[in-house]
Amino acid sequence: MIARWILLALLPVVAVIALSQSRRLSAIIGMGLFSLLLAAVYLLMHAPDVAITEATIGAALVTAIYVLAIRRTGRLIVVADEVPGLIAREGKQIVGLEYDILVGFAREVGLDLSIQFVPLRRVRWLIDHHEADMGAGGIIPLAVEASNLMPTPQHLASGVYRFEAKSLPRETARIAKIAETAPDYEGYFSDLLTHDRNGTLPTVATSLDLARVLALGRMGAALHGLDRMDGSYGYAFLIAQKRVELQRDYVGYLTRLRDSGQLETLIGRHFS
Amino acid sequence: MKRMHVRTLLTVGIVAAFAGLVALSYVQTAPDPADSQYYLARPLSETGASNRVAGIYLNYRLIDTLLEVLVFSVAVLGVRYYLRKSDNIDLPDLSESEVVQTAVSFLSPLALLLCMFFAIFGHISPGGGFAAGVIAASALLYVAIAYGMTATEARWDPRRLAFAEKAILLSLLIFILVPAFVGKSPLTDLLPKGTPGDLLSSGSILIYNMLIAAKVFIGAWLIIAAFALHRGEL
Repeated sequence: MIARWILLALLPVVAVIALSQSRRLSAIIGMGLFSLLLAAVYLLMHAPDVAITEATIGAALVTAIYVLAIRRTGRLIVVADEVPGLIAREGKQIVGLEYDILVGFAREVGLDLSIQFVPLRRVRWLIDHHEADMGAGGIIPLAVEASNLMPTPQHLASGVYRFEAKSLPRETARIAKIAETAPDYEGYFSDLLTHDRNGTLPTVATSLDLARVLALGRMGAALHGLDRMDGSYGYAFLIAQKRVELQRDYVGYLTRLRDSGQLETLIGRHFS
Repeated sequence: MKRMHVRTLLTVGIVAAFAGLVALSYVQTAPDPADSQYYLARPLSETGASNRVAGIYLNYRLIDTLLEVLVFSVAVLGVRYYLRKSDNIDLPDLSESEVVQTAVSFLSPLALLLCMFFAIFGHISPGGGFAAGVIAASALLYVAIAYGMTATEARWDPRRLAFAEKAILLSLLIFILVPAFVGKSPLTDLLPKGTPGDLLSSGSILIYNMLIAAKVFIGAWLIIAAFALHRGEL
């Protein structure tokens, strides 16, 4: 009887504690604790069936669903296209310049870094739909882009190469393959494999950045007819325009990295 | 903006009116607490279930339980209909650290064992099909949190599960209707009763518990999966 009254008195206390938590995970665990206490009260009131239901639903299932709902907080979720040298898998590890920068940034803002590799055309979509915080993997922002994605300052210079050729039929398959491997930036990187309006020779046109030109070269693809496009291009990360705080944090971090000379060291480590 | 206001007020009004009607009819026909004595006074051998709660909700008031199962099925159907996975969603999978994965691989089998215990012994000891199903669904949810939704879904195909859920519901309904074919009223328990306290003591209650456990497990998991995939993560 006394145990029941003690537990009943504890219930509002635990409820207030759960409500006053600033960390979401603590609040959820407090709520689970509340359910567990309530289950104990039911048990002491000789209602074991209700106690079991309260424990399974309140303490187990609902707690798990809330944990699921807040999973993205406390993480820095980066979606990236795999680009050797910048960010790529090597066995079980991830290596590259962009990876090193992101690791340092995540540590500074106190978040767990979580990297998901997706095709380049998905990067933009995922950030746009707030499924990821940052986009990485050889992203070249162009000034003309009208988008609600905000490129960060550049951390590495690159170039954009235009590759266009009228190919003979026997070469078409080979060039088509290159166009397929090439990134698919909407707007400014376009992969085209079109037949001429006159119905003569197929034309291949695609734009590649420096890292991908090098990667294709390493894959053994012979790229002829590369034109370097005018202008200074560089790699950056993508952040949604609404994420003002994240942008500010990252710009501050990059500035400090550059000023202290660490960025140079990192670049030298990966590209020397 | 103003139209939104009117709409919200209208919705609240309709819900309040409906709730008021239900409350009014409840006050007028509220069951007398003394009614519970009626069930407790019945001999235990009538249901064979030494867990009196199971005896009431799976024998005397089976129709209520059946409607509850139906309500749950409608909920699953609704969630699955309105939260269909968009075609162009192809989201990266989140998975947890090795610590969480190891813990889950220890705990989930235990939870499944508990589920089976509650389902099989629900008529002898506290438990029952609903709690058992929820436990199993939680176990699978923990697996999904640890290993990622896509990986879990690859093993538990939602379409096949949805089919299984309907099949279980149908077999439950058929099982309940069988007495009608032998000239008795539906919902009558045809199976023989044993000594209360034995495993095979309470006729159909054991079968109901197991079917309900399987149904609630699948249904709860389907709802979770639909939420997770619509939200686009897990």
